[in-house]
Amino acid sequence: MPPMIDPSLFDQIKSKIEEDTTVRKELEQIVDELHQHVSFTQGLLSRIHSTPRSKYPTLLPQVEESIKSQVATVSKLSIFASQYPYYKYNHKWTRPLQDSLSTVLLFSWLSSPSHTLLSPSDVSSFYSVPLNLTSEDKFHITTEEYLLALVSIIDDLSRLAMNSVTLGDTALAVEISTFIKDLHAGFQVLNLKNDILRKRVDSIKYAVKKVEDVVYDLSLRGLIPAAGATEGETKKE
Amino acid sequence: MSGFKRDWNGNAKKRDGPKPPPKKAVQNQFTHMFENLRDELDQHHDRRERIIKASRDITALSKKIIFALQRVRKIDEELPKNIQAEIDTRLADIAKLLATIAPEIQGINRYRYARSLMCLEELVEALTFCHYLKTQTLISPEQLSPIMDDLVRKGITPSEDVAMTDVNELAAATPEKLEEKETPKVSLTQDDYLYGVFDLTGEMMRFATTSTALTGTMAGGGAEGDDQPRTIVEDMHELGSFFEMLPVGQGNRFQWEKKLEVTRQSVQKVERLGYDRTIRGSERPKGWIPDLSGGDQPEEE
Repeated sequence: MPPMIDPSLFDQIKSKIEEDTTVRKELEQIVDELHQHVSFTQGLLSRIHSTPRSKYPTLLPQVEESIKSQVATVSKLSIFASQYPYYKYNHKWTRPLQDSLSTVLLFSWLSSPSHTLLSPSDVSSFYSVPLNLTSEDKFHITTEEYLLALVSIIDDLSRLAMNSVTLGDTALAVEISTFIKDLHAGFQVLNLKNDILRKRVDSIKYAVKKVEDVVYDLSLRGLIPAAGATEGETKKE
Repeated sequence: MSGFKRDWNGNAKKRDGPKPPPKKAVQNQFTHMFENLRDELDQHHDRRERIIKASRDITALSKKIIFALQRVRKIDEELPKNIQAEIDTRLADIAKLLATIAPEIQGINRYRYARSLMCLEELVEALTFCHYLKTQTLISPEQLSPIMDDLVRKGITPSEDVAMTDVNELAAATPEKLEEKETPKVSLTQDDYLYGVFDLTGEMMRFATTSTALTGTMAGGGAEGDDQPRTIVEDMHELGSFFEMLPVGQGNRFQWEKKLEVTRQSVQKVERLGYDRTIRGSERPKGWIPDLSGGDQPEEE
């Protein structure tokens, strides 16, 4: 009579569990590294709330520098994670990756005079990592990750709208207001399910209200710069 | 949102003022991008929905198989005919469902929708239980995967002449193409297998309890061997030790610990059965059937 459990089965399963544990540990190390770079960049970026636009040329290069180390870590992560089923471990890095994306989005928005928003494919080429793969099982940036990152820069910018007024840069507040309202309209296009994305997207309306209030205060006092003079030219120090 | 007035025919009345355009399709530089992203998200949500629906049905069918198997009274190569027939029809239904979702859970999507595929755990439970009742052994993942492949293949074959394109459109536009291509496989993950086997211990416990109560013997192998035939008590002990010895999976520690605890309880319940039978078994006349309505039947979990 054959035994209840084939003797080789135990070793086989045990070694698979052990392999899984090793993979997780290695992933955690890379993700930790990413997390550190992201936190540092976020810290640097938080200075925008107290830095007038004229001083950006000294601040932004530092941000760019630290973003480079994020990109390096993401590519390391990409190489490692691509060896394994993507969605098996995706939850381990999705948060720090979202944060990383949002620093990149915010950085590029701030550093371009016309305030360009990087599209998903721009982001993908920025990191040299593919985007929203549906058949190939490799590391990539998902649609949800991009959208969630977008929500978090909206939050940041709504705060900046207020602080830019404090710094005397009313033009920036108006620019932010236009940008956020356009994005808000964009998010309305999506069909969302009851998930994390829905929850985060729902919060955009508070950011919209915040910037609308700022713009209202400005217009009430006639502080909105003339329509002709836009963007970078109307810096007030 | 706001209602509109109707004339007395019930037709919507025109407002006095100029009506706002029916849908304010706000167009700005981001609209196009968001429309693309919407399509990507929709694709994912729709697929997920289809998988969840099939998964729920597969779970229900698997549970019915398990119930049918619980009506078996002894471990034997041949299941009673009526039970085998019931299982076969259920499996045929499962096969069809599996075939519909198989193309959707290939490659990268296997893990993407892993949490929507809890049915596979249930199916593993049913298949391992069936295998145990026939052979008194634990089926290995290697033995299971051809069974799964076979199910999917059977699920696809009868529906080839019937038009069922809506679900398969992703895999193949034409049925010929589907034939040419290898039939998609529904792979089981290690977790599907292990958690299915965890649940198997619960089923074995229930089976041991009822079969012992009704037949008066502890289920086990035939007595033809010279040694004492192995009984379900030993099998449960072996399964119990098997899980105790395995390292805890890092992914879902909590669930693992919970399942392990339930397994421990099941092992102990069967142990107790073995003890009772050894102590009192000889006192009980052959064919004696205990009062199953009794309060302290360990049958209920």
